[in-house]
Amino acid sequence: MYEFQSQIGFPILTLLTFLPAVGGLAILFMRGKPRLYKSLTLAVTGVNFILSLVLIFYFDRYSADMQFVEKVPWISSLGISYHMAVDGISVLLIMLTSLLSLIIVPASWNYIKDREMQFFAAFLFLETGMIGVFCARDLFLFYVFWEIMLIPMYFIIGVWGGPRRIYAAIKFFLFTFAGSLLMLIAIVAIAYLARANQYATPVFDMDLLEKATFSYSVQIFAFLAFFIAFAVKVPMWPLHTWLPDAHVEAPTAGSVILAGVMLKVGGYGMLRLCIPLFPDAVVAIAPYILVLSLIAIVYGALVSLVQKDLKKLVAYSSVSHMGFVTAGIFALNVIGIEGGIMVMFSHGLLTGALFLMVGFMYERLHTREIADMGGLAGPFPVMAGFLLFFTLASLGLPGLSGFVGEFLSLVGLFTYNKAMAAVASIGIILAAAYLLWMFQRVMFTNLRDDKWYKFPDFSLREMASLLPLGFLAIWAGVYPNTFLQLIQPSATRITEKMAPYLAEHGGAIERLFASLGGLF
Amino acid sequence: MQHQLLAIMPELMLIATAVVILLVDPLLPVDGRRGLSWLGIAASLTAAYATWISRGEEFTAFSHGIALDKYSVFFKILLLIVAAMAMLLSEKHLFLKKRLLGDYYGLVLFTTVGMMIMVEAIDLITFFVGLELMALTVYLLAGFFRYEERSIEAALKYFLGGAFASNFLLFGMAILYGLSGSTNYQEISDAVRLGPAPAGPLAIAVILILAGFAFKISAVPFHNWAPDVYQGSPTPAAAFLSVGPKIAGFAAILKFFTLILGSQSGTWVPMMIALSLATMLVGATMALLQKDLKRMLAFSSIGHVGYLLLAVVATGHTGRNLGMAAILFYLAAYAFMNMGAFGVLVFMANRRPGFRDTLDDMAGLARRYPWAAAIMSLFMLSLTGVPPTAGFLAKFYLFSAVVDSGFAWLAVIGALFSLVSAFFYLRVIIYMYMREPETELVESEADLEAGKSWDLDLGLAVAAAGVILLGILPAPVVNAAQDAVVKLLGN
Repeated sequence: MYEFQSQIGFPILTLLTFLPAVGGLAILFMRGKPRLYKSLTLAVTGVNFILSLVLIFYFDRYSADMQFVEKVPWISSLGISYHMAVDGISVLLIMLTSLLSLIIVPASWNYIKDREMQFFAAFLFLETGMIGVFCARDLFLFYVFWEIMLIPMYFIIGVWGGPRRIYAAIKFFLFTFAGSLLMLIAIVAIAYLARANQYATPVFDMDLLEKATFSYSVQIFAFLAFFIAFAVKVPMWPLHTWLPDAHVEAPTAGSVILAGVMLKVGGYGMLRLCIPLFPDAVVAIAPYILVLSLIAIVYGALVSLVQKDLKKLVAYSSVSHMGFVTAGIFALNVIGIEGGIMVMFSHGLLTGALFLMVGFMYERLHTREIADMGGLAGPFPVMAGFLLFFTLASLGLPGLSGFVGEFLSLVGLFTYNKAMAAVASIGIILAAAYLLWMFQRVMFTNLRDDKWYKFPDFSLREMASLLPLGFLAIWAGVYPNTFLQLIQPSATRITEKMAPYLAEHGGAIERLFASLGGLF
Repeated sequence: MQHQLLAIMPELMLIATAVVILLVDPLLPVDGRRGLSWLGIAASLTAAYATWISRGEEFTAFSHGIALDKYSVFFKILLLIVAAMAMLLSEKHLFLKKRLLGDYYGLVLFTTVGMMIMVEAIDLITFFVGLELMALTVYLLAGFFRYEERSIEAALKYFLGGAFASNFLLFGMAILYGLSGSTNYQEISDAVRLGPAPAGPLAIAVILILAGFAFKISAVPFHNWAPDVYQGSPTPAAAFLSVGPKIAGFAAILKFFTLILGSQSGTWVPMMIALSLATMLVGATMALLQKDLKRMLAFSSIGHVGYLLLAVVATGHTGRNLGMAAILFYLAAYAFMNMGAFGVLVFMANRRPGFRDTLDDMAGLARRYPWAAAIMSLFMLSLTGVPPTAGFLAKFYLFSAVVDSGFAWLAVIGALFSLVSAFFYLRVIIYMYMREPETELVESEADLEAGKSWDLDLGLAVAAAGVILLGILPAPVVNAAQDAVVKLLGN
């Protein structure tokens, strides 16, 4: 039962996961020493980022196996173990998480003025939850981390958010908690069903569950339960309504993490659990999910088009972009899955950067209304440059990360069904429309207020938070292979597992139309 | 004979201590009485230790009146910890309310003895003696602030309802005796299973017994006393009586319905399902409407009883011990989180003279008392069932049993009510962290100084540690719970 196979000789995953929580606990005892605990937060997130780089460096990118395995019995009589391991997808997302976490700290340095100690502590606990989700290989452990993510974010929105923060926090909590409870019951159900077949205790270990088989009706039920929990997080239309509220009310750091990482755990969960565990159900339900994804892409883009609030615009654009993630994943081919993951990664960089910028702009102008801005390029040339860069990257300009992901995702979808790919590409056109129009209204047109010339342009600290994101966006755009190499073996493994089921059931889109035909 | 007295050593220790407390108390000056709580705590912990070292032995005593096995050991230790915590929470509050009397600790100890007898009884008469010993002393604890109208009202309501419930139980037991000719659980069980017991009287007995128990554990429709009693009782006593009698009640229900009526599960499982659904519904919806935290906790505890009944259903339906073990773990988790939540209310009441246990009075608490607010949040999250707390693992374990028994739809309904419960538990957190008080309650330095008590702090720390430990390292308690029920069901 005890198992430890790490390329580096120390339990790096445990360290990555729990270092932030330990730091968070330590901070709680540093009342009245703001410089000390802020520096500690920076140090902890910095060390964690370095650890994530070490992880990538030692990660064997040609293997689809789970690596850095740590397995210790936990609640043995219930079949629960502390089982951590990562594949390329997890590694990439862990790196993204620790990078965004590091960037948030300087961005919140002066922005958070009230109860700072608790803010930084909550923030570190959040990082533990997020990294834990990406490492867990035991369903129970996965669920624990999944919920640990929820609580600090609830506090971050509810305590440090905007005027309607309480409403937004409750909505966020209840939406995700409802999804989680569904998932919990599905977890319990499959764990006990798997036991009934082969084992003495319930089975929570994902390695074993991937080998177990479930009846068709169980698969459908469990798949839907998991899927709804993840779809809330993604968020997919029509479960997205918590997102604009949460994003708009959350403080900058909260929005960045929410968009940069927490939306990703939804897509990650689908890849990690929904598809490998319930292949029959995936084949049956994928077409409907694709339809929902298309709705999300177009709907999110259309709603972004009419937003008056800059932050809300970015929030709704996330709904649209994440539609490409689910569309790519449920196209169920290697390219589509790779595209979905690349969109996740790129969206984490770009939307993280956009939310940071909205935050920086708000600190100066004290407004987020697009109508109140205008002509900002004059007083703030550096800001305009950064915004232009991230806008272009976000709308999918070739050579930047957004393009790679969306392109691959579209190719995957095209392989699956041409009409669907055509609909999805409308989303890209609309993205260009709302983003460029936004940029024009914010940066050009007439200068609204002369006193803005007195405000400073971006400081070094602010640029320092944006530059790494921009750097990675260029890297991923120019030489995406670095990242695709990490993803490819895992994506291939997933599709290889799906292949016999797909072959058996034929093209999903034909079946969708066939089943729709049954309605008429 | 010697052997038999040895069997009830822990109980005898408590009784002796209680008597000593009652005798010594009037002779002591008020300040000297404060040490009596420590005498009581020491007795409880020693008794718990004595129970612990006897855990390997299994025998019956007093002509098959009580059974000592792992099941009773688990519950007795849990009850003794609850009693010790209750005394930790009480001392300062009683002192500030000028009712610092040794009687209180004597009553707590006697109640504990009653509950311990209920837990280990395998004979109707022994059981009833334990039940009444617990009930009578609990009524007195509820009315301990006899100059407060609400406290008297609480005691009276509790007493009248409780007396009715005891009579229902007694009547049901009498029918069982009539049907089987014995008061011994095993003999009744055999008679019910093998003999041609007439279905009508048996069903009546089941209904009467179920009604009696429903009152004791505050299940719908016999729940109405709980909010009034919790609200009116002294807060530390409410902490005790929201937990102790429930633990003892469930311990007895499990024995009753599996040992005696296990063969009749077809009769009582549907009733239990109805009872559970109604209890969850009323508990969750009524808790939403409460502004008073003690009432909110009362209704929410009714909701928890609903969940626990789900696991009774699972046990009865499958005859597997998973559901039972889940109940044992749940009760242990519940003891820590619920007593902790009441403990924070005691903490506040001790410091702020005008504190009225309402949500409004909790507003902005996080600024003034960051640690109190933090652990209150911990208890609330645990009651909601969020990991990594005891409450989560308890709920997880319980839902496992329910799903495993084939009642997945019941688990889904349970999850739905969990979601509703998130509303009212989180509201406490919202008030503490996200709202500012409308009229600032300002306590003077003197009040603050007077309210300090390290034994209350210790009690809260124990509760918080319990909630976290049972959430993160639950294996020992899970194993103990599973061991405890193996003998009862044998699988």
